[in-house]
Amino acid sequence: MSDCQGLGDCDDARMQRIYEYLDGALTHQDIAEIKDHLDSCPECLEQYDLECVIRVMVKRSCTEAAPENLKNSILDRIHSIRTVEA
Amino acid sequence: MDPAVAAMHEVSGNDATPTQTPEPGTAAALETEVDGKPLDVSTESAEQRRLRFERDAMQYVDQLYSAAMRMARNPSDAEDLVQEAYTKAFSAFHQYKPGTNLKAWLYRILTNTYINLYRKRQREPLQSNSDTIEDWQLARAESHTSSGLRSAEAEALDHLPDSDVKRALQSIPEEFRLAVYFADVEGFAYKEISDIMNTPIGTVMSRLHRGRKMLRDMLADYAAERGFRAAGESGAAADSDKQENRK
Repeated sequence: MSDCQGLGDCDDARMQRIYEYLDGALTHQDIAEIKDHLDSCPECLEQYDLECVIRVMVKRSCTEAAPENLKNSILDRIHSIRTVEA
Repeated sequence: MDPAVAAMHEVSGNDATPTQTPEPGTAAALETEVDGKPLDVSTESAEQRRLRFERDAMQYVDQLYSAAMRMARNPSDAEDLVQEAYTKAFSAFHQYKPGTNLKAWLYRILTNTYINLYRKRQREPLQSNSDTIEDWQLARAESHTSSGLRSAEAEALDHLPDSDVKRALQSIPEEFRLAVYFADVEGFAYKEISDIMNTPIGTVMSRLHRGRKMLRDMLADYAAERGFRAAGESGAAADSDKQENRK
């Protein structure tokens, strides 16, 4: 279905490039190439956008504050360990 | 119930501590210098070390708790897990090399604690190294993404509540789930994830690739169930309010 050759000729290769791009795992030259490509390939841009949306969603959904008392419980335990070792 | 005693025994063993195992003979060099600036960990008093730990390590409690929630699946167990991990980290803090990535070091201890202690307690079957699960999941993921997703799909996904995102993440096998979590939420590099999960970088990349596909398919399914359908997409999912027969 895809006639895109810019990021690889199959969905897997294309997505791998997009992941690496988003993960900051590409060289400067690779990044320049993929940016150019995204500007000219709506199909890849769509995949890229979707991945961005999912990342933001995951980050938003999974950022949780620890219960108030957890930090104190940890500190208590650390202090008790010190006492045992002393 | 308080696992403090167990933890005290655990920390004396090496299995759950981060394996920054120095080469024989280099143990001293490992801890004494960072970029020429001497921080002599070996002569640090217990009190000094504790203060350094509290100053440097305690700031990550929220983040480790969030990660623990992806492992333990309920708040109480996640708290236990974080406590265990911090206890181990404190006891092993003399092994931490100042100047290296402390957050990644803590995540590694958390992950090891989960694998060695918590999951053992749960008696869950090990999912790692189960090729059958990976292959099955991969086949499923590929069959779903082959048609490609429309940009309206992105909009549809964006309307999903946080609970759906957590549920989707929770439903993918844990080695994929944790890789995705470490990369997407914490922004760890492949190499750092490879250290945290104690797997080669190639495995990390493959887990990320598969995990993201699974997550995306799962989210697309949830969006369809909720009636957030992408324009032009017709599917059997539209006629059911809840396809809760999914496990």
